Amino acid sequence: MVNFTIDEVRGMMDKKTNIRNMSVIAHVDHGKSTLTDSLVSKAGIIAQSKAGEMRFTDTRKDEQERCITIKSTAITMYFELSESDVQLVKGAEQINKEKTRGFLINLIDSPGHVDFSSEVTAALRVTDGALVVVDAVSGVCVQTETVLRQAIAERIKPILFMNKMDRALLELQLQQEDLYQTFARISESINVIIATYSDEQGPMGDIKIDPSKGNCGFGSGLHGWAFTLKQFAEMYAAKFGIDLEKLMNRLWGENFYNPKTKKWSKQKTSADEMRSFNFFVLDPLYKIFDAVMNFKKEETDKLLQKLNIELKLEDKEKEGKHLLRIILQKWLPAGEVLFQMITLHLPSPATAQKYRMEMLYEGPHDDEAAVAIKNCDPEGPLMMYISKMVPTSDKGRFYAFGRVFSGKVQTGQKVRIMGPNYVPGKKDDLYEKSIQRTVLMMGRNTEAIEDVPSGNICGLVGVDQFLVKTGTISTFKDAHNLKVMKFSVSPVVRVAVEPKNPADLPKLVEGLKRLAKSDPMVQCIIEESGEHIIAGAGELHLEICLKDLEEDHACIPIKTSDPVVSYRETVSETSSEICLSKSPNKHNRLYMSATPMPDGLAEDIDSGEISAKQEFKARGRILADKYGYDVGEARKIWCFGPDVEGPNILMDVTKGVQYLNEIKDSVIAGFQWSTKEGVLCEENCRGIRFNVHDVTLHADAIHRGGGQIIPTARRCFYACVLTAAPRLMEPVYLVEIQCPEAAVGGIYGVLNRRRGHVIEENQVVGTPMFVVKAYLPVNESFGFTADLRSNTGGQAFPQCVFDHWQILPGDPLEANSKPSQVVATTRKRKGLKEGIPDLSNYLDKL
Amino acid sequence: MRVVALISGGKDSTYNMMCAVADGHEIVALANMEPKGADELDSYMYQTVGHQTITRYGEAMQLPLFRSHIRGTPRLQSKDYQVTPDDEVEDLFDLLVDIQGSVKFDAIAAGAILSEYQTLRVLNICKRLDVQALTYLWQRNQRELLQEMIECDVIAILIKVAALGLSPQKHLGQKLADIQDHLLGMEDSYGCNPCGEGGEYETLTLDCPLFHQRIVLDEVETVVVNDDTVAPVAYLNPKRFHLEPKKGFDGRQSQFACLQKYLDILTVSISRSIHRKGLGSCQNFNE
Repeated sequence: MVNFTIDEVRGMMDKKTNIRNMSVIAHVDHGKSTLTDSLVSKAGIIAQSKAGEMRFTDTRKDEQERCITIKSTAITMYFELSESDVQLVKGAEQINKEKTRGFLINLIDSPGHVDFSSEVTAALRVTDGALVVVDAVSGVCVQTETVLRQAIAERIKPILFMNKMDRALLELQLQQEDLYQTFARISESINVIIATYSDEQGPMGDIKIDPSKGNCGFGSGLHGWAFTLKQFAEMYAAKFGIDLEKLMNRLWGENFYNPKTKKWSKQKTSADEMRSFNFFVLDPLYKIFDAVMNFKKEETDKLLQKLNIELKLEDKEKEGKHLLRIILQKWLPAGEVLFQMITLHLPSPATAQKYRMEMLYEGPHDDEAAVAIKNCDPEGPLMMYISKMVPTSDKGRFYAFGRVFSGKVQTGQKVRIMGPNYVPGKKDDLYEKSIQRTVLMMGRNTEAIEDVPSGNICGLVGVDQFLVKTGTISTFKDAHNLKVMKFSVSPVVRVAVEPKNPADLPKLVEGLKRLAKSDPMVQCIIEESGEHIIAGAGELHLEICLKDLEEDHACIPIKTSDPVVSYRETVSETSSEICLSKSPNKHNRLYMSATPMPDGLAEDIDSGEISAKQEFKARGRILADKYGYDVGEARKIWCFGPDVEGPNILMDVTKGVQYLNEIKDSVIAGFQWSTKEGVLCEENCRGIRFNVHDVTLHADAIHRGGGQIIPTARRCFYACVLTAAPRLMEPVYLVEIQCPEAAVGGIYGVLNRRRGHVIEENQVVGTPMFVVKAYLPVNESFGFTADLRSNTGGQAFPQCVFDHWQILPGDPLEANSKPSQVVATTRKRKGLKEGIPDLSNYLDKL
Repeated sequence: MRVVALISGGKDSTYNMMCAVADGHEIVALANMEPKGADELDSYMYQTVGHQTITRYGEAMQLPLFRSHIRGTPRLQSKDYQVTPDDEVEDLFDLLVDIQGSVKFDAIAAGAILSEYQTLRVLNICKRLDVQALTYLWQRNQRELLQEMIECDVIAILIKVAALGLSPQKHLGQKLADIQDHLLGMEDSYGCNPCGEGGEYETLTLDCPLFHQRIVLDEVETVVVNDDTVAPVAYLNPKRFHLEPKKGFDGRQSQFACLQKYLDILTVSISRSIHRKGLGSCQNFNE
């Protein structure tokens, strides 16, 4: 039975200090969904006996079958804290003045596989805290780092949970000290990541993980038990008469206890002194494991008595693992521990929005909306961010899922729906519509609710047709957008689809539209050749998208092409001459050149370190200091492109040219265009700096309009690229493979065949497992997983994350080189003219 | 007034002539600058494509036609013009001085709409010859103009394309009425000038109400200057053509009588023209 009602939940929603919005994030297979079950069962939504097996938040059939989370799922729960714990909640904005014991938890379970990272991004945006789950056996993996880094960038406070302790004890049979060292190492690795990407002086304060503070949990999600040092400190506090917090401090790190002399020390000097964590925490656990697993009935009974655990009659009959599970669930129930960690250590919306506003809001930080977000003010103007679309049972319709940052959203309310391209004061991408219904997302179900105040997460009915994927909803006339999410992965793998029966084409087009809505990242594009392209993060992502398209969105049989990767076009030298192009009327001339960017600049632009929105002097300084650009020139960047923020720049290096400002917009338009569709095969450009050296223009404004200048600029950019030794870049994955030592040889073989190379090979300390890291061109990654499995007897599991772009060796202008073949096939696929156009098409003579 | 009409063969100079006639003036001669040695000079002043057909314009309109070669080049490229020896403007001046020797006239008609560059040069010449300029199209709304020309049966075809959105295969040779929608669409999407004032395209008039005989093209050749995928440049070269008598024209109608049918439209058009008297306009922006 669910132990709370919707009315109770609605009541709690007004208490913004007693709300916690959190996501569960981790590497794939580290046990997020399984761990989430213990909270869900504590809320009475599923039976305790089912917890750990049911994976309640894996709502799709394929998620259950494959045992992998694909979509993030939200669930709202209500719990009450005990009287004594209420006193431990610190901070004025973390609990209301009346010290209400009830807390509302909005939890989002996210997928761990890299291909679905965009789902994690969407989840993080609407939450304030993150429970990072790490498998104690495998340790910190590549995706752990990716998601944690993303969380910190969004100013999401992390807490840590070390999962799968049962495996460490039962399978690996780790000794106490080894297990302690494993835990210490994991929390250390996590802290290294946190330190790298956050700032201690930052507005979130110190967010490091410290088990002695209680923000790190240990346990087994599968068996439903967990603890933090707080649980054990509580047990011993009375006995020792030491303050709870002091005792927690002593239970971790270099603290030793001598049971004979009953003395504490900071160093281990004799064999009698034992690490306090081992003695007080692990030892009792090990005793229970030992007694139960070795069928020592008497000892078990004694221990049960000591711990005050009474078993039900039918449970007494059980033995081994089953009994162990029941005992530990009774003694250290995971749901309770997680709940305490969440309420005590994660920020409430009231706390978090204070420092998150400046990261979220694009408008001035002192306007009405900004102030309301900062104060999480339910009386302020409505500001809501829609982070994703969740399919409804009604085919083709979606709930718009998101977070209310200020004001109240209610059924029937008239709101402004602003898409990502909305610019304040203009009418583009803006709709004024009424909200049909507001709903609460409860895992696989939804519950209707009248209205939802600031600080909460909910779904909306009736706005899906006005937004493509994400957007901002507001009642404030002058509201700016909430910032668009930045994904850590890019859609580098694409396939072409067509209906098996040509008559089904309209259905396919409709289905693609729905698919684009249902996934935060997938791109559905129509090429000039008429091909329908689906672009995704990786093979698995595409596979799921195609399945959804075929079965749910289009409902027709579909033919799929082999996957293709996207390329980038770049230059490897400076243009051999300053290129001249004349306008169609021959009366305007542009002089430009191209040159490669210094290493690292394109990546800095990707990450936003250097961006179009920066103040130009500050940006000029960074470019001069870090990349040796001339300060004067670095200040005169006209724009970035493609799409205004891409990794190519256009610099004005002219000296006193008349009318230059008048044609600036046209040249920029040509720049955006030609960096989006490069000269080689109309792929995006990357890492090119274009210089405008000089222009001569017709004296009469009418003869230098956009129609004349835009195509000329484009031709000139193309000529610049063609004279600067153009190159193709291909995307490269960072692959992390876990396997036993025997399989390592097989991995090398597979990687070599696929142009991959190993960059790191390490044994996971304390386990027989090896971790191999390698770079692998995305183009070679199709079927890699299957190939790897078959070559290692199914023992190696790869995780591929897009890592960087790398130049494909060879000259695309030279016939029969590898890049020229890629160019030829790409041009053919896109329906372009055969062969790279000759330079004479773009370069004019004076 | 007695008017010498500067004609390029394009729709604008043709329509400007019609306006002048409707406004009570009389065209007494036609003047045209002819390219030397090439079909397309990319001149700053004169349209040269389609120059072959101009030879028959005098015949078609039953008026004396004076032509001379473009010898100069655009030497002074600033907006304002001062007398510059060997500039292409001086060739026109010389021609008009010649005409003054045989025909008496008080004004010249030019079809510029928005090009200050061209208009200022025509005005410079007018001043030196002490005649008036008639520029009925000056600063008119291009959408309106295009519509009026079509309604007044100015039959002109696209003879050169040089802009984003116009393709040689598709658009060369099309009549104004056929391409009107496309031109208006281009204005919306790329900010092109619907009348081609920025050099987006040029036209050749094959027939208009002032023509007693119409021009029929028998054979044309497409010359591609630049085969760019986005903004290709290409023009038509008329190779063979002939004049064809028009029904109801016996060569005795007055110019004004030819326009009887269109007077309503033309009256409105003239009233919209901000500078009925041409010259006024020029002084305005000389200031």
